[in-house]
Amino acid sequence: MTVRATLRDILGVSQERVDTFRSETPLFGALPELDSMAVAGLLTELEERLGILIEDDEVDGEMLETFGALVRFATAKAIG
Amino acid sequence: MKIDHYDWSGGTEAMLRFGPDTGPVVIAVLPLFEEANRTRAFMVSILRALAERGIASILPDLPGTGESQTPLESMTILRMQGAYDDLVSVTDREGRRAYGIGIRSGALLDALGLLSGRWHFAPQNGEDLLRELTRIKQSELGLAKPLGDLWYLDGLRSDDAANSRVRIAGNLISADLLSELAVKKPIDASAPRRVVRLMSDPKPADIKCEAAPLWRRSEPENDIVLAERLADDIAGWIAICEG
Repeated sequence: MTVRATLRDILGVSQERVDTFRSETPLFGALPELDSMAVAGLLTELEERLGILIEDDEVDGEMLETFGALVRFATAKAIG
Repeated sequence: MKIDHYDWSGGTEAMLRFGPDTGPVVIAVLPLFEEANRTRAFMVSILRALAERGIASILPDLPGTGESQTPLESMTILRMQGAYDDLVSVTDREGRRAYGIGIRSGALLDALGLLSGRWHFAPQNGEDLLRELTRIKQSELGLAKPLGDLWYLDGLRSDDAANSRVRIAGNLISADLLSELAVKKPIDASAPRRVVRLMSDPKPADIKCEAAPLWRRSEPENDIVLAERLADDIAGWIAICEG
């Protein structure tokens, strides 16, 4: 829920559009709104909303490849 | 609304003034850097709504921000705080009490002003802002060149410490300012302080609002409904403070 809402708010896209995101939906490189500046905002916003800290060495292309990968990463961090 | 000016130790800067010529004055501060552009229209909506409720306000260009001719790279947080204090002196000379309102990292800049109260919306610690700036810088450099904790001091020679600056997302920022961010928090002083946050933000607040964070959007947007709601909250809070 949090990841979907954060993507909606960061990218400025509609709820209907993020509701179509599935686990295999590609993110970085596939969404023109998600440039490197938006990635920095996305990670910081996820930190704020989930109360987590994302280390720089944890950030790689893989975690941003698909919606499912980002949800798995955020969930693992939130559970700690 | 009218354009006016104020003096600070480094020169003269512009400010927008809204509302009546008497009564308490709200001095508003936008966030630092890119988030200022994304929240300016929203802040103006709040200040116009306050004017409709009979409350005056000032939206300054702090030195190094907005249309200021002062280069950002020459500024530190402390110098901006000093300029804010000079601005508060303007209302003091008019015999009017001043209340600070700050959005995001704007809440870091009102610390030195002799204010009757502070109202902060989604206040951000300097440390969190610095981590985001580091992340942006890292994305500009690519992952092949990892940045260390005090990366902005890298390559600094003792003889040019005062002149050292780095470029982040098009802004030239002094290493001194970045060093200050690591330790700056919004002041929690003896004067009343009210904190408002978005529902999506788990940190403590006096009230929370359901809305999207405008400061995250790459294109500036506005939220008139939220601006009206926040103006109601600010007006009610000032009425209580004025007692």
